[in-house]
Amino acid sequence: MPEYIVEENALKDFLQSISKGRVLLSPQGVGDKCQITETTPDKVTLNFTNTHISPKTLFFPQTEWLMSFQKDHSKPHPYVYQDLGDKAKSAVVFGIRPCDAKGLSVSNKVFQNDRFTDPYWKGKYESVIKVGLACKDPFPQCFCVAMGGSPYGATGLDVLAFPSEKGLGLKPITDEGAKLLAEANLKEADLSSELKSQEEAAIKAQGIPDDYSPIDHRGLLNLFQDPQWQSIAENCLNCGVCTFICPTCHCFDIQDEENSEGGVRMRNWDTCMSWLFTVHGTGHNPRPSKTERVRQRFMHKLKYIPMKQNGDRGCTGCGRCVVLCPVNIDIRSVALRMSTLNMQKQA
Amino acid sequence: MPSLEETTQKIRETAKKALADGKAEVVIGYKKGTYPLSTAPFFARTPEDCDQLIWSNFARINLANYLPGRPGKVAVVAKGCDARSIVGQVAENQFHKDNLYVIGVPCTGMVDNNLIAAKEQRPYRDYSETLDTITLKGADFSTEIKKEEVLRRNCRTCANRTPKTADELVGPEVPGAQADDFADLKELHSKSPEERMEYFKDLIKDCLRCYACRNACPLCYCPVCFVDETRPQWLGKSTDPMDTLTFHLLRGLHCAGRCTSCGACETACPVNIKVREFNRITEETVMDEWGYEAGLSWEQKPPLTVFQPDDEASFIK
Ligand code: SF4
Ligand code: SF4
Ligand code: SF4
Ligand code: SF4
Repeated sequence: MPEYIVEENALKDFLQSISKGRVLLSPQGVGDKCQITETTPDKVTLNFTNTHISPKTLFFPQTEWLMSFQKDHSKPHPYVYQDLGDKAKSAVVFGIRPCDAKGLSVSNKVFQNDRFTDPYWKGKYESVIKVGLACKDPFPQCFCVAMGGSPYGATGLDVLAFPSEKGLGLKPITDEGAKLLAEANLKEADLSSELKSQEEAAIKAQGIPDDYSPIDHRGLLNLFQDPQWQSIAENCLNCGVCTFICPTCHCFDIQDEENSEGGVRMRNWDTCMSWLFTVHGTGHNPRPSKTERVRQRFMHKLKYIPMKQNGDRGCTGCGRCVVLCPVNIDIRSVALRMSTLNMQKQA
Repeated sequence: MPSLEETTQKIRETAKKALADGKAEVVIGYKKGTYPLSTAPFFARTPEDCDQLIWSNFARINLANYLPGRPGKVAVVAKGCDARSIVGQVAENQFHKDNLYVIGVPCTGMVDNNLIAAKEQRPYRDYSETLDTITLKGADFSTEIKKEEVLRRNCRTCANRTPKTADELVGPEVPGAQADDFADLKELHSKSPEERMEYFKDLIKDCLRCYACRNACPLCYCPVCFVDETRPQWLGKSTDPMDTLTFHLLRGLHCAGRCTSCGACETACPVNIKVREFNRITEETVMDEWGYEAGLSWEQKPPLTVFQPDDEASFIK
């Protein structure tokens, strides 16, 4: 597939064209405190680091109403759940970062796979065309390369955009992306060598990545039984910030809320860092202490998900949890400890 | 005031001595963080561990949070506000004073990273700090910021910087602390009840209900928080604004007469909510009603835990 170029003064027209008949979504806000929201072509900026919390909210909102019911017997179907319908809108997102697109593709395999399909996720995930923005100058908190990605990675994207010398470069990734670009009447250009050299420079700028591959080869029980989870847990507040802001964390809790007339069934984000996440009706808790909960978070991301998803990790190196954990529990240090055979005392 | 390095040295010496003298099996302090402008809580158990302890303008988290329920003898590094929290925990029987050794650090205030972010948007991978300045080092720039300008809100109004209840101080008292006049609440008081409701709703509009504020708080040690109760379930779990507001209002009231404005809640919040606003109001009320400030001495009794026959309490008959 060819690449395309959009000159700087033509960016607005391009965005206008791709958002024809669709909602345009793009990061809005100041500095790193931005979030992907509905916007118009004139407000789109390329000048942001990444969204403050991950864009999973687009496909997996913190609270989502699934069904409703009513109790009034004089009305039809009392006590029968009514589907609240999928609120998916056809949209194009411009400016999602490669780490997040990859993280959402990991969640996508959790919500849609050969065993079942979650209609609420599917509707929203599939109605959004994803145009990613490569990170020419990776940010200090980023470690996507160490996690097996790249600042120019295309996993989970339909189109990869990148700042070229001649304007905005666009590389179609999927057929849907190719169609989107073909319909936008753009100038074709061979940008493959520029893309390659930019990617190499960006990877270099992130520094020599830590090697986490030994985790893939270490035995599950070996990792599971490591006494060092205790020392990580000693610091952890079990607040769950790390999971709420993460692009790959996808756990939820189903709740019914009702009053005298009826009610709704909803799902809300949940977090494995909370004791409530696993406690049984009997009061028994299979993850009784912070140690088991901390272990679950890291084992899930760095061992269980890779085992189920052909080596793709449940962390894509966006760095949010590193920056936002109130007590500086750093997944890079944990991954490094999991990688070294004799885990040393926590440094 | 001693430099950060001098205080660091003094903390290390004191920690080693506390371990050697059997005053503590573990010293809870701070070590350097893994990314710019951060520290991490650190549990030192050997003299070698103690050499990792540091003092910093980013020692924001209140380490008293790690005390309730902890077995054995513990030494803890405490700022003025943290030492007050510890006094409160002892008064509330959450930790036994005999098992405690408080290493007090006279404090000149901690830095709010959001204020730094507002001053320097360019990326930096390195930084350095002195007691009065923070220097950010980017690829082609170096920006020096005065600590005075980026202090946390609670540190600006702090009147108890020296932890006077500590077993040992690692430096001289901080001079010139002024009495807190709650000037920061004046504007709020000028609002009508309706305006105030709007103000609070707006304050928490980004809240994720992650409860990091609660979990970072040294007062929130309840084994099961009311928001986590399931039988009965007091509160909905969604992002419904009334449920979220109820959480904050109730937590604010639960902290009345106990909060020491250590700012751990605001430091922990991932979306920069001024959580302390709720507690600040109760702090002022308790001051007005009982002339009481939490955690200033081992003798004082928290006003909401005592009854006196001459209490006004006209509502109890
Ligand atoms: S953000 Fe940090 S303290 Fe909070 S649960 Fe995650 S690792 Fe623990
Ligand atoms: S684990 Fe942390 S760094 Fe990795 S994807 Fe999640 S938030 Fe980002
Ligand atoms: S509130 Fe006071 S004692 Fe606490 S960190 Fe701020 S200045 Fe220091
Ligand atoms: S830490 Fe912030 S986002 Fe989390 S519950 Fe508290 S106020 Fe809400």
